[in-house]
Amino acid sequence: MKIAVCIKRVPDMDVRFKIAAIGNAVDEAGLKFDMNDFDSWAVEAALQIKDRDAATEVVIVSLGTDAVQETIRKALAMGADRGVELKTDHIPFDGLAIARALAAELKDGGYDLVLFGKQSADSSNGVVGAMVGELLGLPLVTAISKLEISGQKGSAKREIEGGQEFVEFPLPAVLTIDQGLNIARYPALKGIMAAKKKPLEVKPAQLGAQTVTVTQMELPPERAPGRIIGEGVAAVPELVRLLQTEAKVL
Amino acid sequence: MTIGRGVFIFVVVVTLAFFSYNAQRLVRYMRTVGRPDDRSDNPVTRIRNLILIGFGQTKILRDPVAGSLHALVFWGFVVLTIGTGEIIISGLFPGFSYAMILPGPIYALYTLSQELFALLVLAAVTVLLYRRIVVKPARLQGDKVHSGDAILILSMIGALMVSLLSLGAFEFALHPGSGTIFQPISLALSHALTGLPTWGLEAGRATSWWFHALLILIFLNYLPYSKHLHVLTSLPNTYLSNTSGPGVKGAMSYMDLEAEGVEHFGASDVTQLGWKNLLDSYSCTECGRCTAACPAHITGKLLSPRKIMINTRQRLMELAPLATGDFGEFEHPQLSAGEGGDAGDATATAALQNTLLDNYITEEELWACTSCRACVQECPVSIDQLDIINELRRSLVLMESRFPPEIQPAFESMERNGSPWAFNPGDRGKWAEGMDIPTMAEMIERGERPEVLFWVGCMGSFDDRAKKIAVAFARVLQAAHVRFAILGQEEKCNGDPARRMGNEYLYQMLARDNIETLDRYGVETIVTNCPHCFHQIGNEYPQLGGNYEVIHHSTYIEKLLEENRLPLNGEGKQLTVAYHDSCYLGRYNDVYEAPRETLRRSLPMMTLVEPPRTRSKALCCGAGGGRMWMEETVGKRINAERTEELLATGADVLAVACPFCMTMIGDGVKGQDSDVPVYDISEVVAQQLL
Ligand code: SF4
Ligand code: SF4
Repeated sequence: MKIAVCIKRVPDMDVRFKIAAIGNAVDEAGLKFDMNDFDSWAVEAALQIKDRDAATEVVIVSLGTDAVQETIRKALAMGADRGVELKTDHIPFDGLAIARALAAELKDGGYDLVLFGKQSADSSNGVVGAMVGELLGLPLVTAISKLEISGQKGSAKREIEGGQEFVEFPLPAVLTIDQGLNIARYPALKGIMAAKKKPLEVKPAQLGAQTVTVTQMELPPERAPGRIIGEGVAAVPELVRLLQTEAKVL
Repeated sequence: MTIGRGVFIFVVVVTLAFFSYNAQRLVRYMRTVGRPDDRSDNPVTRIRNLILIGFGQTKILRDPVAGSLHALVFWGFVVLTIGTGEIIISGLFPGFSYAMILPGPIYALYTLSQELFALLVLAAVTVLLYRRIVVKPARLQGDKVHSGDAILILSMIGALMVSLLSLGAFEFALHPGSGTIFQPISLALSHALTGLPTWGLEAGRATSWWFHALLILIFLNYLPYSKHLHVLTSLPNTYLSNTSGPGVKGAMSYMDLEAEGVEHFGASDVTQLGWKNLLDSYSCTECGRCTAACPAHITGKLLSPRKIMINTRQRLMELAPLATGDFGEFEHPQLSAGEGGDAGDATATAALQNTLLDNYITEEELWACTSCRACVQECPVSIDQLDIINELRRSLVLMESRFPPEIQPAFESMERNGSPWAFNPGDRGKWAEGMDIPTMAEMIERGERPEVLFWVGCMGSFDDRAKKIAVAFARVLQAAHVRFAILGQEEKCNGDPARRMGNEYLYQMLARDNIETLDRYGVETIVTNCPHCFHQIGNEYPQLGGNYEVIHHSTYIEKLLEENRLPLNGEGKQLTVAYHDSCYLGRYNDVYEAPRETLRRSLPMMTLVEPPRTRSKALCCGAGGGRMWMEETVGKRINAERTEELLATGADVLAVACPFCMTMIGDGVKGQDSDVPVYDISEVVAQQLL
């Protein structure tokens, strides 16, 4: 079995962002970047299949600047076999352009499974995986929280509003991974050392025409600071009054 | 040549040959199986350790009762070995006596010392046997220790003493008038024998002599089969120890992550441990002092540092004969026995497949360790149990990513945010807002240089309770007009949690970043309120090329108080305060007085009270060794145990000098529904500022 996992390098979300001077992007100075969490679960899912079946090859594909090599190496350190960087000077916002570039790479790769994270932490479009499925003409299952592969068939669980859905699909297929499927393994030093020697191919990304662009970015409005009304039971009437009149939630 | 002499020469040659064979085997095991480890540094400190800990028995005397008895036996052995020489030589060259080579008075002194020590050792051995057989102290139980072995050895020693004295007694009875007052005991005994016929006396003398001489040779040959191997190894072991002096106490060993050809990081088996770890395992007397002091063990966890040592020896005894081509030769049963071994399956294949990790020592034991160093502190023969625990943890993390799942977020956060908690690194300096504390960058830009850098640490930067400690210490520095700066955003976790949890790779990443920052600003002197930062930067960064003078705030404030640089508010209240020693301040760095002196000087009316376990015997709060980030589900909580002890002193206030201790003891106090406040020593001082 051959599995491709498409991953994205995203900024760490625990920081306070600043808007860059050009006004339509975040200021990347001082930001820490790492693998998108959803994508790390996709890598883990692929590696778990590999752990069971020695014949499996796991290939990591990532689109971006040369900086993505660090992120690809992390996936290789976790245990993936080789990496492909689809090189661009920046990651475009247009999901379709990205999906085309990825599909061009994946099309003739002979993959039985193509895995994505459900969405990226930064742009949160959640479309690339689905578009790749469409472009490749393969069965697509999104937002998977449980996965089983046996032979050329797979079954999955999806979390849907108010319930759960169980689906079956033939391979090859494109899947996007939701939270809860697994916990991504922590790369051991042994893996980090081994990753340095694994092949990482760099190819130009075939992005094609981009139709959607970001024109402007703004920070959310500052939240009004909290207020302490008083302490203990005595403060309750005032609290209720304010919740009714000011916050209008009661 | 008499037949007797011929027989004796034969016996001596055979027993010494057999002993040498066994001794060289044990040395070969240790050196073939263990990794190289250079212990030739710091000869002066090593000799001092040998004299104080080895010959002076200072560590064994930490247990006053058993310690004094043992010290007596030890000193007796040293003295009586000289006499053993005389007896053996006289067997080879009949008629030989030291009297022939020693001046009269010295010979008299020598005979007196032999007699007195023989009696003292006999008495001590009797009490020790009583203890083993009747009293059975708790620390001598568990881990499948060999009580029978100890009883055998003690009995042999007793028999040696009896035969030594009876030898003299028969001699003097045979030749009345030959004894002097410098052999008072034999002389007194000889009077009881006067009625016996000469042949009886001669037979008595011959029996005593042969019994004594043969027993010595048997004893010597039994040692390599017994946990009492320490009789031979403890002195060299003490000289070669790293932990009680040479190098920097408690620093984890340097690890070259880029080294060519290294395939295994850390240790999962004895082959990856250093030869000194293996010598440690030979030297363990199974006395259980380490385990009795271990906070994990005390509170019911699986960990026992004694078992770590016994297991290391067992595994060595299982593997080494194969590794050195000795398989099938004489086993060393006592050295191979103990709890946790691979039960019974002694085939060569099984022995090769086993590893120290998993087959003998489980992950659960390893993760229970708080790295408090109580075991190392207590071990009378200067064994470093913690070194083995650390190496095994390194292997778990670096080779297999095997660790309690709850510490993964801490690892990831240290890597991404430079702190074990997912806080925004941009907020690191937030606690200091409005206090007019410059960052290093700001100060340098103004063209100034600080006297000291205040290293705040992740707790002081992000933890709500510990932020108050950072504020208090900053106020103290300001009150003394110390020109200081902080690094603010540029500070990162010192890496201690990663290192202690076995993640050397992450540790070196953080440490190198910090060293780069500190060197960029040319920082020379650092003060910090966190003992972990203090120990790590001061004692372990030099391994990576970071050399700074690092001062813990307790020492720094004490100096400010001594120099009268702090305007204090009168006498303070009449309080009783119990101070809790931090492991990384106390046992790791011998800072015991500074925090106490700081309390005394800032609260002259205060009475300091001490819990029973205090100073170098203090019980850990439970946070070290990365335990801060792990769940504690087995047994009693360590912080609860420690807090109970502290509260039992009846103190009005508990004082700490470590932000981690603050969390643990603070939680402990809340858990006891007590309202006794817990303060950092800097807070106590800050409250007294005018
Ligand atoms: S360092 Fe402390 S917790 Fe760890 S084994 Fe030794 S005594 Fe026990
Ligand atoms: S390691 Fe040291 S303290 Fe522990 S049982 Fe062995 S000799 Fe005693």
